[in-house]
Amino acid sequence: MTGVPDPEFQTVASSGVQPSSGVITAEPRAAQRAGWIPVTRPKRREQLAGLMTIAPALVLILALTLYPVAYSIWLSLLEKHSFFPQERFVALENYFYLWKDAEFWTSLWLGVVYSAWTIFFQVVLGVAAALILNETFVGRGLVRAVVLFPYMIPTIVAVILWKWLLNDTYGVTNYWLLALGIVRDPISWLGADHIMLSLILMSIWQFFPFVLLSILARLQTIPPELYEAAKVDGASALRRFIHITLPQIRGILFVVILLRSIWMFTKFDTVWLMGEGAGAGRFIRTLPVYAYMRTLTYYQAGLGAALAVIMFAILVVCTVIYFGLFREEADIG
Amino acid sequence: MNRWRFRRLSTRGLLYMGAALLALQAAFPFFWMVSTSLKPPVEVFAQPPSFIPQDPTWDNFHRLFTGTRFLTYFRNSLVVSGLAVLLTMVVSAAGAYSLTRYQYLGREKIAGLILCTYMFAPIMVVIPFFILVKKAGIENTHFALVLAFTSFCLPFTLWLMRAFFKTIPLQLEEAALVDGAGRVRAVIYVVLPLALPGIIATSIFTFILAWNDYIFTRILITSDELKTLPVGVQDLFHSALIDWGLIMAAGMMITIPALLFFVTVQRYLIRGWGAGAVKG
Repeated sequence: MTGVPDPEFQTVASSGVQPSSGVITAEPRAAQRAGWIPVTRPKRREQLAGLMTIAPALVLILALTLYPVAYSIWLSLLEKHSFFPQERFVALENYFYLWKDAEFWTSLWLGVVYSAWTIFFQVVLGVAAALILNETFVGRGLVRAVVLFPYMIPTIVAVILWKWLLNDTYGVTNYWLLALGIVRDPISWLGADHIMLSLILMSIWQFFPFVLLSILARLQTIPPELYEAAKVDGASALRRFIHITLPQIRGILFVVILLRSIWMFTKFDTVWLMGEGAGAGRFIRTLPVYAYMRTLTYYQAGLGAALAVIMFAILVVCTVIYFGLFREEADIG
Repeated sequence: MNRWRFRRLSTRGLLYMGAALLALQAAFPFFWMVSTSLKPPVEVFAQPPSFIPQDPTWDNFHRLFTGTRFLTYFRNSLVVSGLAVLLTMVVSAAGAYSLTRYQYLGREKIAGLILCTYMFAPIMVVIPFFILVKKAGIENTHFALVLAFTSFCLPFTLWLMRAFFKTIPLQLEEAALVDGAGRVRAVIYVVLPLALPGIIATSIFTFILAWNDYIFTRILITSDELKTLPVGVQDLFHSALIDWGLIMAAGMMITIPALLFFVTVQRYLIRGWGAGAVKG
């Protein structure tokens, strides 16, 4: 695999032969890097080489991620058309506008509703499914592979799939509901009344495999002896879950909920694609979609940037509160 | 004794039922996509719907390849994703090498900063990114798209590569140096072959991310002949009457490459998962 004669290297290394050049001494440096010997002050040449190799990555991240995010704060203080170069400094006017903008408050509310429901069910279903897939049964490997499919496919595919399944006239969902006598009239899944429900269902389907796999990875590291001991003591399955499993997965659960919350609150493509062409799109116009529309439908880049900044600020505040509430879990995770 | 056995059997039964439900909810929509894509238009809209196409045909695929610009979008997707993978790998391999092999001041701070940018969602980056790209005069180019994907993937590819590089014993590399190989040769012949699983895994993540992306392409690309698959296929929706057979065929053609990659690297994927390698 390495294409390198390993044994030869090992004999050289273990015989402790010091190189004649004196530039690189194998053993002490290895020990130093492994943290056995405290590092005093790295050599200048090494500093330079280190900085040179990290530079491309650092420059790209600074120029293409951090700078745009910083620039959006400046942009949010401007009145600017998305396509034309003219811009005018308006200070906080964009924010004042949004404060009085009913559509902003609606989008914030819809975003919170969407995130709360999808995060809750993703976590509950993800943990339950992980517990199932952690047991041994015939065909486990296959099921483990299949359940990840929805998370791996492009969002556009997930959306067209669900729009077809939920089609009011020809969709297979309505066909079954009618055939089984559960409903009398076909449900307009993508209409004003149900589009949020459809979006939430679809998002749970698409994203809960992430929770599932993260939790499953952790479950596999819990020593089985813990469960054996509890079984001997006669603990029920529920008690075993509460007293053994839950404390063990607390740390990873903390991280997973944090990541999923950030990603669901800022989810754009799923929501936008689901609402596009559905007529009832405005009933799922969450904050990210509204920010996009201000920038690329109304061409008000300043307002769009202000919305992105508000979104970011909400995330930062919530993350800080979250870390404060679950200090213990944050340490494990 | 009997009661105990009954309980055991019923929990086994529940377990299998749960597993079957899990598999079914994930697989059925795909089965339905395949089924619809193989039906002639009349059968697509038939009531009651047929599960197995009664009269299977490649007609939808034929129309997809000849009647739409699907192949152009496909080629664009391949080019952009491929270039993004290439650039990301070079930059993150160098960066990961730096973070694990050199001592310099501020190294851990840089690593922390990079991890922080992992938290930025595309929607927060893409609006200012769009304005800046316009100012730079590179809007509506694949170049801008490749840059966007690379910068978006970098935080986690770097992080993952760093984790892989850490597992490679330094002694091997230093032995090569002792033997008189230069730094560059030691990296090429010792480090990179050993890091190969990590390189494969990270390049697949980048590829899938670029392949699946919608938002960057939607915002940065305006001309039809430069669009990638997700955006191109979405525009098939804009015709007056939605041609579900055609759309399902397109959906299958986008999914297959992503799934192929996914299946081939599944082993690495599970390993990388712990390092937080999958974003979305």
